Amino acid sequence: MARTKKNRLIQKAPNFSGFKPFGVQKANACEISLNFEEYEAIKLCDYELLTHAEASALMNISRPTFTRVYESARRKIAKAFVEASIIRFEGGKVVFDTLWHKCSKCNITFTIPEGQSEECPLCHQTENIANI
Amino acid sequence: MIIAIALNENHSKALVDEHFGRCVWYCIYDSESRKSKYIENTNRYAEEGAGCSSAEMLLQYGIQMAIAGRFGVKVVEFFRKNNIQMVIPETQQTLIEIINQIK
Repeated sequence: MARTKKNRLIQKAPNFSGFKPFGVQKANACEISLNFEEYEAIKLCDYELLTHAEASALMNISRPTFTRVYESARRKIAKAFVEASIIRFEGGKVVFDTLWHKCSKCNITFTIPEGQSEECPLCHQTENIANI
Repeated sequence: MIIAIALNENHSKALVDEHFGRCVWYCIYDSESRKSKYIENTNRYAEEGAGCSSAEMLLQYGIQMAIAGRFGVKVVEFFRKNNIQMVIPETQQTLIEIINQIK
């Protein structure tokens, strides 16, 4: 049996669920699912411009594992680009480093610091809050 | 409570900036005295670590909450360590709209 994967830490899930190509009559039937850890790898490396070593420390995995995740993410994105397929963010073995909450009334996402009650920082109500 | 809001301009109708570290102005708003002041983000052209140096600067004003469209990973770590609440509006909002929502 293969060794189980270690949990990868991620900061925040993307607030949208994927991409689809435009200008094609019929979207390619096969969808590509980009794992959350792969999304995070691309974000850390190419958006926040961290090195693989720094990024791997943030995700709590080893540097070679990070490079593998990143490589796989780039291949998936390239495949989707060339073949005009839909990219969907789903799956992956992830745990959230920072817990984010959402208030549907104020339409905001926020964190709750230690020792504070679970309420929306703007409207101070508790009923509209959902964890994400 | 003292709140820092990332803005792209320094007036009350300015939009909340998309990115915490690279915004042009910060508004420091005190919800008790209802006073606000604007400070320029001098770190915005820094090669890297713009968010962290701004966060350190804002900490000197004693902020307890920060509002911006997005926070970088280093800033999230930094704010979490210092127990500062982060708020991300999902829609484009102006400073005055945010302030009116704070009770």
